[in-house]
Amino acid sequence: MSNPLGNILLYIDGSESSITAAQLAVTMAKTYGSVLRVMYVVNENLLSELLKAKVFVQMEKMDYERDLEEDGKRYLNYVVKLGDRKGVTVETVLRKGVVHEEVAREAEEWNADLLVQGELGEVLSLRDSFYEEGERILRKVKCPVMVVRGREKIERLFDET
Amino acid sequence: MKLTDAMGPENVKLDMEATDKREAIEELVELMAESCERCDADEVLEAVLARERDGSTGLEKGVAIPHAKCDAVDRLRIVVGVSRGGVDFDSQDGKPSHLFFLMIAPMSESGPHVQAIAKIVKMIKIDRFRERLIKAKRPEEVIEAIDRVENGEE
Repeated sequence: MSNPLGNILLYIDGSESSITAAQLAVTMAKTYGSVLRVMYVVNENLLSELLKAKVFVQMEKMDYERDLEEDGKRYLNYVVKLGDRKGVTVETVLRKGVVHEEVAREAEEWNADLLVQGELGEVLSLRDSFYEEGERILRKVKCPVMVVRGREKIERLFDET
Repeated sequence: MKLTDAMGPENVKLDMEATDKREAIEELVELMAESCERCDADEVLEAVLARERDGSTGLEKGVAIPHAKCDAVDRLRIVVGVSRGGVDFDSQDGKPSHLFFLMIAPMSESGPHVQAIAKIVKMIKIDRFRERLIKAKRPEEVIEAIDRVENGEE
């Protein structure tokens, strides 16, 4: 029987909860011998919306896009280092676009067995436009999704692994 | 991150006194500096004015979102100002601006800054939200209104 958790995809956005999710994903990859791939998406769609609403000017949008890309590289490297500490090789993916669509595409194309992501935000509005990315991802991806909560317990688990 | 994590009633000024764009920005920056000892008001002011030179952040429906990135603040800072009489802020529809959201973030916090600006942009599309802010009698009412929308209660 093939490993039911052979491919674990981790989505991070730099939030504290996504870092907690990273710790659990590394722990799981080590425990189950999974391949761990971590991805960050520059939310190009959001920047374009702000440009369209004329809140941003073109130069500013490009400036923020560069900033977010640099942020993404930093977060991805952080997870690679988390993996190094546990002897887990971490593959990285940096994309630009509509976040939930990019995550769903990656999960499908890579045949992810599990998507791991941080806690959903506190905003649980019924207004569609207020759905946060974590929630959109949950609705869009076709593979099993693990939403990670419980920072203290996971930190302990990570340290003990 | 919730907007109300980055601001409280002390970051709200009802009855702004400014009569023009420059004064409005100065009044908002002054309010920000009052609640942030480590913020450099002059540097924040210069960053906001520089951004405005690239294009006005006066939007439609009486709302303006002056913003900038600069390391004169320690974290994302947000202040809200309400001008009953309105201020000419070079808005998109040419009408006076009544609601001001000044948002300043350090250079290294682009992610939360973009998210916060986007959230405000969505909020101000709600007519009742804008009305609640303009009619607020206490700063706490502004914070409550923001909190209500963030929690999906509006």
